[in-house]
Amino acid sequence: MKKKTTIHITVISFIIGFMLAVQYNTVQSPKKVQTTDIWEVRQELSDEKLRHSELLTQIRQGQETVRQYEDEELDNPEAILTQTVDQLQAAAGIKEASGPGLIMNIGPSEELIEYGYTVEEISPQLLIRLVNEIYRYKGHYVEIAGQRLVHSSAIRDINGKTTVNGVPIGKVDVEIKVVTETGEEASKLYNYLLASSFMDEFFIDNMLLTVEEPQPSITVDAADVEIRSTYLTEYKGD
Amino acid sequence: MWLPLLGLILGIGLGVLTDLEIPAVYENYLSIAVLAALDTMFGGIRAQLQQVYDDKVFITGFFFNIALAAGLAFLGVHIGVDLYLAAIFAFGVRLFQNIAVIRRILITKWEEARIKKSENSSESS
Repeated sequence: MKKKTTIHITVISFIIGFMLAVQYNTVQSPKKVQTTDIWEVRQELSDEKLRHSELLTQIRQGQETVRQYEDEELDNPEAILTQTVDQLQAAAGIKEASGPGLIMNIGPSEELIEYGYTVEEISPQLLIRLVNEIYRYKGHYVEIAGQRLVHSSAIRDINGKTTVNGVPIGKVDVEIKVVTETGEEASKLYNYLLASSFMDEFFIDNMLLTVEEPQPSITVDAADVEIRSTYLTEYKGD
Repeated sequence: MWLPLLGLILGIGLGVLTDLEIPAVYENYLSIAVLAALDTMFGGIRAQLQQVYDDKVFITGFFFNIALAAGLAFLGVHIGVDLYLAAIFAFGVRLFQNIAVIRRILITKWEEARIKKSENSSESS
């Protein structure tokens, strides 16, 4: 190869390398235009702070359990294990759970019925939204018309009937029980539901949503469904 | 052979270290220009291996192809036809062809060298 040719190719490959790098830089860091104002940033920050504190609470609970394990390891290892299993079963919905919470009722709107309006099925979408909001406001365990919601529960329309866990719920007088961790959370949820637009949303469907005052103790039943697990199998030991 | 590689590495290093970015609007043009440049580069290597390399053709081809590709893309944006696809297609196909030819030439050279070597060794023994 002649010297001149080599220099030419070197220069060209330098240019190509430079272009590639610039292109890479440009593709890697797309410039985000900052359109949020201070208030939104503060809002995000407060959300993250909340998450932070939740995580810290979880860590503390975990550490508490570990300490209990360590303390009682010698005395009574079974009791602590049973307690953990109980907690997990309650969380998974295999066992009934109780705690402070509140009860909601969905019933027909009397005055509309008198004027001849008919009551339709409770819309699954509306119910799903309600449940999501309940979970968002720290509702731990939820039961709709006697059906405990677990991680695999589905609220959906089957042949025109609204079902929870595959069981049709009635058109009227549906009771929703919510158990929260603390009484304070129950009253927060209560206040949120009163202030939310859910009552209006249900009224569109000619129904009335009544939220009862928080109660110190509410019990939700165990889930009636078989909980399938893809990755875990039951240990059939002694 | 290592000098062009050094140039390439130097260019990439400089580009990455300077943190230079172009506006997102021109991103398409640059990507096409890079493709055109790569095409010219491999074309150059092929010509070199086939011993038909010409400095003027190579240098003018490099800049002309880049300009043409970017111009085509620019025109395409303004008349609402995705003309840059034409450039991508053309350069893409040529790139593959060039690389295939380079590969064949290299394989032939390697085989020739091997045969020569075995002949040499048989002669010496």
